[in-house]
Amino acid sequence: MDLVLVGLNHKTAPVEVRERIAFAEEHLQPALKRLQRDSDLLEGMILSTCNRVEILAHGQKSQAQVVQSVKDFLYSYHALKPPFLEDFLYSYLRGDAVRHVFRVTSSLDSMVVGEPQILAQVKQAYAEACQAGSVGTYLKDLIPRAFFVAKKVRSSTQIGASAVSISSVAVELARKIFGDLKGKTTLLLGAGEMGELAARNLLDSGISQIFVINRTPKRGQELAAQLLATAVPFEDLETYLIRADIALVCTGSTSLLLDKTLIEAIIKKRRYRPLFIIDISVPRNVDPQINELDNVFLYDVDDLQSVIDANIRQRCAEAEIAEEIVDKETVNYMNQLSTRSAGPLIRSLKHRIEEICLEELRSNHKNLDPQEYERLEKALRSTARKIAHPFITEIRQADKDPTRRLHKIQLIRKIFRLDKDS
Amino acid sequence: MGILLFNSAFGFYVLGLLHSVAAFVSKQKNIFHQIAIVSVSVGFGLHSAFLIYSAVEKGRLPLTDLREALTFFAWTVSLCFFISHLRYRIKPLGLFLLPLVTVLMLGTIFIKSSPVPEIFSSSWIYWHTICLFLAYGMFFVTFIASLLYLFQERELKGKKPKTFYYWLPSLVLLDDLFYKFLISGFCFMTLGLLAGVIWAEQDWVGGWQSDPKVIAALITWVIYLVLIYLRLTAGWRGKRAALISMIGFLSILFTFLGARYLGGLHSFP
Repeated sequence: MDLVLVGLNHKTAPVEVRERIAFAEEHLQPALKRLQRDSDLLEGMILSTCNRVEILAHGQKSQAQVVQSVKDFLYSYHALKPPFLEDFLYSYLRGDAVRHVFRVTSSLDSMVVGEPQILAQVKQAYAEACQAGSVGTYLKDLIPRAFFVAKKVRSSTQIGASAVSISSVAVELARKIFGDLKGKTTLLLGAGEMGELAARNLLDSGISQIFVINRTPKRGQELAAQLLATAVPFEDLETYLIRADIALVCTGSTSLLLDKTLIEAIIKKRRYRPLFIIDISVPRNVDPQINELDNVFLYDVDDLQSVIDANIRQRCAEAEIAEEIVDKETVNYMNQLSTRSAGPLIRSLKHRIEEICLEELRSNHKNLDPQEYERLEKALRSTARKIAHPFITEIRQADKDPTRRLHKIQLIRKIFRLDKDS
Repeated sequence: MGILLFNSAFGFYVLGLLHSVAAFVSKQKNIFHQIAIVSVSVGFGLHSAFLIYSAVEKGRLPLTDLREALTFFAWTVSLCFFISHLRYRIKPLGLFLLPLVTVLMLGTIFIKSSPVPEIFSSSWIYWHTICLFLAYGMFFVTFIASLLYLFQERELKGKKPKTFYYWLPSLVLLDDLFYKFLISGFCFMTLGLLAGVIWAEQDWVGGWQSDPKVIAALITWVIYLVLIYLRLTAGWRGKRAALISMIGFLSILFTFLGARYLGGLHSFP
């Protein structure tokens, strides 16, 4: 009885392969039932997202057999011929499977490290498996533990703190300049799609007012209505540049709309209040030299991208701390698991050794008088205890490496043929 | 007892400083930062206890010679660190404020205490020194705040974020810290100077107006007045504000330490 994980992800398989073996949400219930039946599993769970397909299985047979039967299931379910998947699939056993589940749930194995969706996806997969009746005591213990680890990683590292998309990085930068965005004003110049997206993001982040300026007033008014903003005429550009805190520029114009002399004049009239200009138009509409002016912060698409790159590097640095947490939690979990299984094991081991010791005595009991029998039985029971003692100590002793401990326990089981009893 | 309190306060300040540096360098920022804050809190508590103890022991406020003045200056900087930490939670603040506290505390070890000058018979003198040292502490925070503003501004202008980008709060918050401490520091300095003038009018024999320290202090006061004026009228922030507040603080250091060598009544033995 062991835990096994078989699957592939964005690192091991191209999208053509991933989409071939993905499980559609509406087919998950029958798939889970079939998995359990075909592969003869005690428990099973399927996690299928656009970046990974993984099957977590808890079977009765040996690990190699369980891995093989899960692979067989994948081939037969998706009507594929072996060895189509062999180069892409990975499999993890026992402790490594637990670690992998913890890593995936904590978003350490994601394409964008620290992205928050994966936790919800694992939760969903778990709910599906619960509904299909394919989870038992093992997974009911493990998966909630993975949620706990994911939360711990999120609260004790900055792994998900920094922004990694163009529109969210614009909000992050605005916060680094203005702090709270409440009461701040945005001027949206142009009606480009990216500009609209960024404006929406700013609105969601608490910005109080948006003004829209567009060359064609009709389109400007439409956009303003969608964003609950105010459309203002192009002639008032300067007035609203003085008033706004953030200027989002996203037009289809091929010439510069804001040049250095204009902004220089404006910044004086603003009494040097900071102005954040985001130029997401291609070609650019804002003179790059404006960034040299005091209290003006100009970002074009490339600049936003370089902040995203830095944020990703920052996330990777945080991921190193997160990996340590996951390692520690894996060791903890494996130790708990073996301690929990130690009780029944010790009982059956004691029983087994006593059996062996008393076997001879019992078969000869006719030749012995009752008094002598009792004396011998007592002596043999105490011998059995003495034989069992070092084994029990070994079982109880916690090990830094939980896999080695499990190996030890497995070996003891094997020697005394305990598996049949338990 | 007094020595013990002083030394343990010093020890905890050093501990706080070391952990602030560790927080800056290491990946586990939060843990080191928390240890630093706790150490400085304990150090500040012990430092305050030391001041109270020596006040009771000597029967006067411990402000009469350079040694005591340095200790008190360290205490006001530490106090300002606390106020700004509670209000703003700016993590790298300790990294910049604590070195001064440590250096001031260390400085007292090399200075012998001297007898109490007669001028300390008037209570105006105590108000004069307390207010001025509070002002000095606040102006130091102002200077550090303008430096941090400059760092964050450089991160934002440079567009290649590094440690300070992630570690520092927003420009507006740093500016708020700068402005509040600038204004309060200026108020305390004005009060301190007024108390000095009142005392001088009563007890100073001869022209106090030509005392070198008085002139230096007046120059410092004017520098900060100009800074406030430019801030209010022309909205000076960032580089320029940092430059002026640095000049202001250098002027304070000159007033505090340098002017004594130019003679006059303020030069304690």
